[in-house]
Amino acid sequence: MTAMPESEATYVVVGGGQAAAWIARTLRAEGFAGRLVLIGEEPHWPYERPALSKEFLRGTGSVEAITLLGAAQAGEAGIECWLGQRVTAVDRVARVVTTAGGRSVAYDTLFLATGGRARRLPGLDTVPAERVHTLRTLTESERLRGALGGAKHLLVLGGGWIGLEVAATARALGVAVTVVEAAPRLCARTMPPVVSGWLHALHEANGVRVLTGTGVAGVTGTADGIAVTLAGGGRLEADHLLLGIGIEPEVGLAAAMGLALDDGILVDAQGRTSDPRIFAAGDVARHPNAFAGASLRLESWANAQNQAIIAAKAATGGTAVYADIPWFWSDQYGVTVQMLGLPGLGTRAVARGTPEAGSGCWLMLDDTGIVAGAVAVNAARDLRVLRKLLEDGRAPLPDAWTDSATPVQRLPSRPNVGMD
Amino acid sequence: MTEWHDAAAADALSDDEVMGLSIAGVPVALFRQEGAFFALHDLCSHGAARLSDGFVENGCVECPLHQGLVDIRSGAPCSAPITEPVRSYPVRVVGDRIEIALNR
Repeated sequence: MTAMPESEATYVVVGGGQAAAWIARTLRAEGFAGRLVLIGEEPHWPYERPALSKEFLRGTGSVEAITLLGAAQAGEAGIECWLGQRVTAVDRVARVVTTAGGRSVAYDTLFLATGGRARRLPGLDTVPAERVHTLRTLTESERLRGALGGAKHLLVLGGGWIGLEVAATARALGVAVTVVEAAPRLCARTMPPVVSGWLHALHEANGVRVLTGTGVAGVTGTADGIAVTLAGGGRLEADHLLLGIGIEPEVGLAAAMGLALDDGILVDAQGRTSDPRIFAAGDVARHPNAFAGASLRLESWANAQNQAIIAAKAATGGTAVYADIPWFWSDQYGVTVQMLGLPGLGTRAVARGTPEAGSGCWLMLDDTGIVAGAVAVNAARDLRVLRKLLEDGRAPLPDAWTDSATPVQRLPSRPNVGMD
Repeated sequence: MTEWHDAAAADALSDDEVMGLSIAGVPVALFRQEGAFFALHDLCSHGAARLSDGFVENGCVECPLHQGLVDIRSGAPCSAPITEPVRSYPVRVVGDRIEIALNR
């Protein structure tokens, strides 16, 4: 594509999160010797986000523990980090990136790892801003931690992973929690009913009031907190409100650049966008997923890391494609739950062990008998062996899956294809 | 002088298996690869996870939390997110017992 030696090329990474850090680190690991500039909007050095709703929020974590690319490492690797700077324009013809502060840099190859932004509710203008929280960034986690320190009651709007993890952390800090979810069940977007039911019971057992199928008609400020009016009538008061209603992929720049979009930036299996000089990875990118047989935009730690690594390798001549089976985890009340594949697409759950009691794994089959995914509760090893099987295009026989006395690798298996 | 600690019976592990041990209070993951034994500190250098709960394949153990790979023979990091080596301990077989040295 470019005739100049790589050592004279300039690669620019827009974004300062996990995917951006892995792109930069991988480029150097793969031997890219040219100029490398990472431009991040947050003031922090690139970090991993999972702890923001858990240890870090609770106060037992540290910035150091979650930092992925610190000052010393960036210096050693020769990665120029422009932190706290927002990219406002990219000229694809001149191949120049410009920031709000007026700095610019010409690129030979560009990476977009712009992530996403926590969704907010309209009509919150009259609610005191210090009572309303979202959780995406380190700064937001610190702000919420400060709020929880003096709070008696937290209202969580949205029963997804972020909302539930914050609920669990708040309970550990002795704060009363109410979770309000509009859908009929928790984590309905990604999880099957059996998992939603287990999560519901887990949170209630830990003292959380869980209201599913409950819409919100309005939020107002009170003398010392917030009040939520429920769509079906009723009113809840709390000291603080956390909005855990998902993220919007940060595609503003890509849209202005004219790149192909579809709920995220469209990329191929190597992370290449519709402009071959430009790659995208992480929460913002929608990739063709071989396991799903569809394009997916994943908002997970594993995706941010591994898709970024593939994109950086592709930009340095690599041929590897991103073909991971979707995988993520959540920690709540000391329980580690791991999800593999697309368990929400399953319609039949087959339990190995007793996941609802804290140790086991649900295998999720769709209507044709294909294993769509699995959800493991404190059963990481079983899930890992299952992943190996699924990667090989196989799945355990559902009847055998329940035999927890036999290791997963010794269970009879069959090709993971439909039975009808 | 190297101090050897009794760890396990030599027939306690098959190839590609791992067991978690506590040797003088130190968590140790003991592996068998092609008939030989190797010991690593039983804590991933990335997160707080036991490597003895991990998945063994192709000479590496995969951390059960974040799927990073560690070389069983050396403790060297082999894949993201692991970037720091895991401490490895000397192992020897004396008769039908496996012994591990913690100081070196």
